Amino acid sequence: MTSGAGIFFDGKTSARHNAMVALSASGLEIAGHDGRLLAQWPYDEIEGLPAPANVLRLGRRGNALLERLEILDSAFAAAVDARATYVDRTGTLQRRQRTSVIGWTVVATLSLLAVAYFGVPAIAERLAPLVPVGIERKLGDAVDMQVRGILDTRNAGMAFECGTADTEKAGRAALDRLVHRLEAAAALPMPLRTFVVRRTEANAIALPGGQVYVFQGLIAKADNADEVAGVIAHEIGHVARRDGTKSVLQAGGLSLMFGMLLGDFVGGGAVVIAARTVLQSSYSREVEAAADRYGAELMNKAGGNAHGLASMLGKIGGATEPGMKILLDHPETKARVAAINKIAGTQPTSPFLNNAEWASLKRICAG
Amino acid sequence: MTSLDAGTAAGGGVRFLGNRRAYWRLLMRGAALLMVTLGIYRFWLATDIRRFLWSNTEVAGESLEYTGTPLELLLGFLVAIAILIPVYAGFFVAALDLGTIGHLSGLIAFAALGLLGQYALYRARRYRLTRTIFRGVRFHQSGSAWRYAFCAVFWWSITALTCGLAYPFQIASLERYKMRNTYYGNLAGGFAGSAFHLLLRGFPMWFLVFAPLLVTAGAFIEVVDWKALGDALSVGADDVMTRIESSNPALGSVVVFGMLMGSVAACAAALLYPAFQALVLRWWSSGLRFGDIEMRSTLRTRHVYGAYMRFLWYAILFSIVMTMIGGLGLLLAGSIGGSPPAGPGAEIAVTGVLLVGYVIAALGFSTIYRATVMLSLWQLGMESLQLSGLSALDRVKATGRPSSALGEGLADALNVGGY
Repeated sequence: MTSGAGIFFDGKTSARHNAMVALSASGLEIAGHDGRLLAQWPYDEIEGLPAPANVLRLGRRGNALLERLEILDSAFAAAVDARATYVDRTGTLQRRQRTSVIGWTVVATLSLLAVAYFGVPAIAERLAPLVPVGIERKLGDAVDMQVRGILDTRNAGMAFECGTADTEKAGRAALDRLVHRLEAAAALPMPLRTFVVRRTEANAIALPGGQVYVFQGLIAKADNADEVAGVIAHEIGHVARRDGTKSVLQAGGLSLMFGMLLGDFVGGGAVVIAARTVLQSSYSREVEAAADRYGAELMNKAGGNAHGLASMLGKIGGATEPGMKILLDHPETKARVAAINKIAGTQPTSPFLNNAEWASLKRICAG
Repeated sequence: MTSLDAGTAAGGGVRFLGNRRAYWRLLMRGAALLMVTLGIYRFWLATDIRRFLWSNTEVAGESLEYTGTPLELLLGFLVAIAILIPVYAGFFVAALDLGTIGHLSGLIAFAALGLLGQYALYRARRYRLTRTIFRGVRFHQSGSAWRYAFCAVFWWSITALTCGLAYPFQIASLERYKMRNTYYGNLAGGFAGSAFHLLLRGFPMWFLVFAPLLVTAGAFIEVVDWKALGDALSVGADDVMTRIESSNPALGSVVVFGMLMGSVAACAAALLYPAFQALVLRWWSSGLRFGDIEMRSTLRTRHVYGAYMRFLWYAILFSIVMTMIGGLGLLLAGSIGGSPPAGPGAEIAVTGVLLVGYVIAALGFSTIYRATVMLSLWQLGMESLQLSGLSALDRVKATGRPSSALGEGLADALNVGGY
C-alpha cells in the first residue's frame, strides 16, 4: 500500500484539505484534491501526535508551523508507521520512555531520602556555628513565645517562673550558684539564662539563644543538687553545641525537600509528616547522646559528680524531650546511663550545694 | 484563503470519544506511581490526563490536540521553586522580627500567596491554551496576569463579604477578562454570560443554604443579653464559661439551635452542590464566544447528579474493601510485637500500616473522583454543547506562540490548579 487518503491542515489557516498521500522512497508526498503538491515530509522528520484511538495524527518534528496530517485508514496508517522513524503507533517507544522515567524518579526519591538522612544533619552541623549569636537569640525569643504559650498554664494565678517571690529568693540564689559553677567551666559563646518553671513533669529544655527551663517536677524528683546540676549540664550541652539552631535549620531543610519538591499529591501530606518525624527523631537520638557526653564531661570539669546525670536519667526514663515516647524507651535509657557512668569515672567530687542551699532550691517554687 | 475542500458542516456538535476503562487504567497506574515516586510522577500523570481528554474531544469532526510535555511542567515547577524559596525565606526572617511586621507577617504572607496563586492560575491557563491545537492552529492568551490576580483577589473578598451573593458578578467579570484575552488563531474570544441571569437562577439555592444561618444569627441577637455577656468576658481569666452561662441562661438553647441549623445548612449545601455546579457550567459554556462562533449548553442537572451517584457508589465499595484489608493489616502488624500486642515494634508497625492505609485511601478517593465526577463533567459539558457559526472555522489564520510553563509550576508549588 503506497498511497491513501488523509486530511491535511497546513498550519497557516484552519482550513481542512482532503488530501491524497503517497509514500515515496524518501518521504510522504501530500497532494490536494486538485493534484497540487501541498507538502513533502521526509520519513525521519515525521512524528506521531496524540489523537483518538482510530486516528493517526502526524506532524513535522521541530517545526514551528503546526502542519498536521490525519490518516483514518488503519492499513495505510500501519504502512506509514512502518516507514517513519519517530512514529510510534503501538506505543513501544512511549512505554520505554515511561519505564526510564519511573526508574529515574525512584532513584531520585532514594537519593533525596539519603540526603535527608545524612546530608541535612551534616549541613546543619556545619552551618549552625556560622549563625551569629545575635540571630540565634532572636530565634530563641521567637521560640520562647511559642514554648510559653504551650507550657504556661497559669495554674492558681502564679507566675510561670519560680524564684521571684520573697519566699523563693533563697532558692533562686542557690540555683544561680549552681549554674555559675557550671557556666564557668563551660565557657559558652553566649550567656546562659536558667529558670525553674511551674510544670509538674520531670524534665528540662534548652531553647536556642541560651535559655534553659528546668521544670519544677525535676527538682521535686531529684535527691541531691548534683542530679539537678547533671541535667542542667546536659542542657548546657545543647546550648554549647547550638542544637536549637541546628534543629531549626534541619526542620527548614526537611520541609523544603519534602514539602516543596515532593508530596504535592492527595495523601502526600501524611507521607511528608511521617518522613519528617522519623528523620527528625533519628537526628535527635544522636543529639541527645552528644549532649549526654558533653554534660558528663562538664560535670567532671566542674568537679561535680557526673553519676548524678545518670541516676536522674534513670529516674525519669530518659525522656528529656517531650513527645518522644516511642524513640526514647527503656533499652535506650539503659545505654545512655551506661555511657554517662563510663565517662563519670571515680575521681573525688565536691557537692554543688550544701544542705541548706539544697533545701532552699527544693523550695524555689514554694510561692 | 478560500478553499473548495470539504467545508465544515453547518450544524456542529461536540463528541467525546474517550473510553472510560482506558481512563481508569491511566488513573490507577498514575496513582500507584505517585505513591512510589512520592509525587514526582504528577507531571507525567497531568500530561497523560490532558492528552486523553483533549484528543478524545471532537469538535465539528476534528479532535483537539494537547502538545504540552511533562518535562515542560517539571521545568516550570523548578523555576517556581527557585522563585518561591527566597519569598518563603523572607517571610521566615520577617516572622523572627518581633516588631509590627513580624506580627503581621502571617497576614501579609497569606495575602501575597493568595495573589501569587491567582497570578499562577492565569499563567497556567495561558500555558494550557497555547498547548491546545485544533485543526493545525494554536489557541493563545494575552492580557496581564498581575491585573487578573488583583481583580480576582478583589472579587473574592467582595464575594466573601456578601456571603457569596456577589459570586455571579465575580465569575462574569473574571470570565470576561479571560475570554476577551483568549484567541483561537486570529479569532478573538469573548464572554456573553449575564451575571443577573446567574444570580436569579442561583438565588433559590443560596437562600436554602443561608436561610438557616440567618435565622440563627437573628436568634442570637434576640436572645443574648449583650451587656451581661460583655461584663462576663471583661472579667477575664478563669471560669469564663460558667459566668457566661449564668449571665445568659437562654444562651445554651440558642447554641444548640444554632448547631442544628448549621447542620441543616451543611446538608442543603451538600445536596444542592451538583445542581449548583450544573447551573454554573451551563451558564458559563453558553456564554463562550469565538468570533461568530456561539455556544449553547443543554446540560441536564440530573446527569450531574448521576455522576455524583456513581462517585458515591464506587467510594462506598472502595471503603468496604479498604476497611477489610486495613483491619487484616492492623491485626498482622499488631501480632509482630507478640501477644498481647505491645512494645515499640508493634507500635511502629501499626503506625506504618495506618500511614500506608491513609495514603492509599486518599489516592483512591481522588482517583475515583477523577474517573467519575471530573470525567463526567468534562464529557457532559462537552457533549451538551451546540455550536453555531462554525463556517468561521474555514478561515482562521494561525497566530500566537507557545508560552512557558512557569504558571503551571507556581500553581503546583502553591497547591492551586485545575486540570
